[in-house]
Amino acid sequence: MRNIFYIARWEFSTRFKTRSFLFSTFILPVLFSLLITLPVYFITYEESVSTKLIGVINMGEDDLIEKLQNHLNDNYQLKNGSPEYIILPISVENSVIFRKSYEEFESVSRQLDSLNLAYNDLKALREKYFQTNKLNNKELLLQKSYDELITTRELKEMVEMDYGYYKQKLDSVFNKQARLTADSLLLKKILNAYLVIPENIYRLGSIEYHSLNPGELLDAERMQTIINEFIVQSRLREADIQPAQISQWLKPLRLKKYQLRAQGPAEWNFYIEFYGAVIGVVLLFMAIFTSGGFLFSSVLSEKTNRVIEILLSYASSIQIMAGKIFGLGLLGLMQVLIWLGITAIFVFFNLFQAGQIAYLNLENALFFLHYFSLGYLLYAAIFVAIGAIFSSEQEAQQVNIILRTIAILPVLLVFLFLREPESGIITVLSYIPLLTPYFMILKIAQYGIPLSSDFYITSIILIVSIIGMVFFAAKIFRMGILMYGKKFTLRDILLLLRSS
Amino acid sequence: MLQLINIVKKFDSTVALNDISFDVQPGSIFALLGPNGAGKTTALRLIMQILKPDSGEILYNSQPRIKLKRNLFGYLPEERGLYQRARVLDLLVYVGLLNHMSRHRAEVEAIRYLDKLGLVDYTKKTVNTLSKGMQQKIQFIVTLLHNPEIIILDEPFSGLDPVNQMVLRNIIAQGKEEGKSIILSTHHMSEVEKIADQIYLINQGHMILNGSLQEIRERFKENAYLIESDDKIDAIKGIKDIKILEEHNQSCKFSILAKDADKKKVISTIFEKIPVIKFIQVQPSLDDIFIKLIRNSQKEYKS
Repeated sequence: MRNIFYIARWEFSTRFKTRSFLFSTFILPVLFSLLITLPVYFITYEESVSTKLIGVINMGEDDLIEKLQNHLNDNYQLKNGSPEYIILPISVENSVIFRKSYEEFESVSRQLDSLNLAYNDLKALREKYFQTNKLNNKELLLQKSYDELITTRELKEMVEMDYGYYKQKLDSVFNKQARLTADSLLLKKILNAYLVIPENIYRLGSIEYHSLNPGELLDAERMQTIINEFIVQSRLREADIQPAQISQWLKPLRLKKYQLRAQGPAEWNFYIEFYGAVIGVVLLFMAIFTSGGFLFSSVLSEKTNRVIEILLSYASSIQIMAGKIFGLGLLGLMQVLIWLGITAIFVFFNLFQAGQIAYLNLENALFFLHYFSLGYLLYAAIFVAIGAIFSSEQEAQQVNIILRTIAILPVLLVFLFLREPESGIITVLSYIPLLTPYFMILKIAQYGIPLSSDFYITSIILIVSIIGMVFFAAKIFRMGILMYGKKFTLRDILLLLRSS
Repeated sequence: MLQLINIVKKFDSTVALNDISFDVQPGSIFALLGPNGAGKTTALRLIMQILKPDSGEILYNSQPRIKLKRNLFGYLPEERGLYQRARVLDLLVYVGLLNHMSRHRAEVEAIRYLDKLGLVDYTKKTVNTLSKGMQQKIQFIVTLLHNPEIIILDEPFSGLDPVNQMVLRNIIAQGKEEGKSIILSTHHMSEVEKIADQIYLINQGHMILNGSLQEIRERFKENAYLIESDDKIDAIKGIKDIKILEEHNQSCKFSILAKDADKKKVISTIFEKIPVIKFIQVQPSLDDIFIKLIRNSQKEYKS
């Protein structure tokens, strides 16, 4: 018994002050938290540092651009007070192709204007002829002017057709040239994005948003919301609704989510729930794999540097194994306690509103310790066995990677879990001993405290598997530890177990 | 007295030790010899209780091994290692504690040994900053710190520089003087010839030879002589009852065919005819004896 204590103390004290322990206790959690929170933070909370230029190819109403600009000015401003968005109507007047089409269109338009004028003049002349009774050759004049009117009308109809054609052509050239211009401005990074607003936007209800970066969700979403509001407003106006009424009706809704927890309803915040769960699982993972990793390398290195033979001559294999598991378990416990202590400081001084996060309480700290201890013991037994079987770091690392992959699985399943914590697959997964501690931490972050039936079932599952695993590991450890340079196959392990 | 009685140990289907029995007296040095894979390390691990025998008994002062305290034994394994990052004194104290010494006594003894081996300035240094030779000395201390009654040394001389070989010989000699039972396994026959009292040769798990150094020499004594002269020694060929074994320009190895009573006569004839400067009875070296015995035993196994 005394030797277990000495071995445990040796393992603890030789690793407690190592850089790798300090790193994994203080630096790694911070790094990891930043690593998983920052990207989402940047996507959602990005404060624009400079004004964004949004181009608009407007084929609809002229006042739309002004309305959009005003709306943006009212709602989105930079910290220095300047507008966050500036709308730039895309101009194509410098385009040769556009100018040529425009000239064609203008000439047809002028032609049509003069024909219209001539036609109206003729109509007016005929009316005059008609009303004047004392006209000598009235019949003749009327007949002649009628012929001219018909000719002019035919001509006018033809030019009207031309007009329609050129107008359509002009529109299409505008559309094409404007897009070309906007694209080049986008490529030159002058524009952040541009919108294409069609002529009949209020009927169609569809616009285009172009940008180099489709991940720029925020800007697109804002434009969509604003223009959507315009469309709704316009449609409401068409239905003769008063403007005051409209703005009252369109007042936006704010949704606060609450979740019923054991302690009562608590405000539901996706980020807190999501990151609470993920950080909890990752911390558990790091705690288990820091001390488990130490344990693993301790066994493996003693085997490779042969210290194990000296140890075995002064202590039994069971004493060595138990000493290592307890010593490094205490190290892991120390790590968890340091984290809980830091969390307690956060809660006590209410940094980051930590006091309002429902799952940060003493009871859950104890649950965390409970599942850490059980999870650690289970993984520790596995690590001891693997460390004893393999004789080189490289071989053993491969198995270690497989174990890590299994243990990190719950982190990957967090989304699945948050969407449907009660689903069958989650229940099944959470009863697999290697995964149980992680899923219970997820459940605690989700529900506040675990259901007592869940708590007992998972604890029993874990304890039974720990006993089995320790028994198995002790056999493997005793036999494997002295076999140097031998590659173990699954068959060897089975033989070992049968022979012992 | 440490006794191994009819020890059998198998690994899978390989017999590592087959019916091995020997006694080790206190105050004596017992050398376990044999080629690689003979079963030496297995035998030592059985004594250290790192392995358990399939059958047979290990007794010390008539007590079964399993009832003995581990700290009666001091073990220097063949494959030696130390915690490379640990400080020298911390490491020695840890080993002392594992052997049920008090912290204070472990510290005092460790410093005493470090002083004796010229390492007292290195107590606070980590092991990996020490030279290989120094680390070997630390390993001796790890083995002996708790003053064990039985000292087991597996290939203790392999990898040692001549200075440390001497240090170890002194340690062994001192242990013998203090009445400790010392068991060592080795390839170094020259070392064994210098220090061992009892010799036990095994090959492929079987005992081949067991006895004191003197007995063994006597048993394998050859009827062979060597003479050296400062002149040519062709004249020896003319002497009756001599069989030449090896012949060189100025030396010759031969045996005397005559019966014991006539031997003196033959020898005096030699001295008359040849200006002898050196005349010795050839003693077989342990190396020769063992190589011969092991070859014979291997032939036996094959047939």
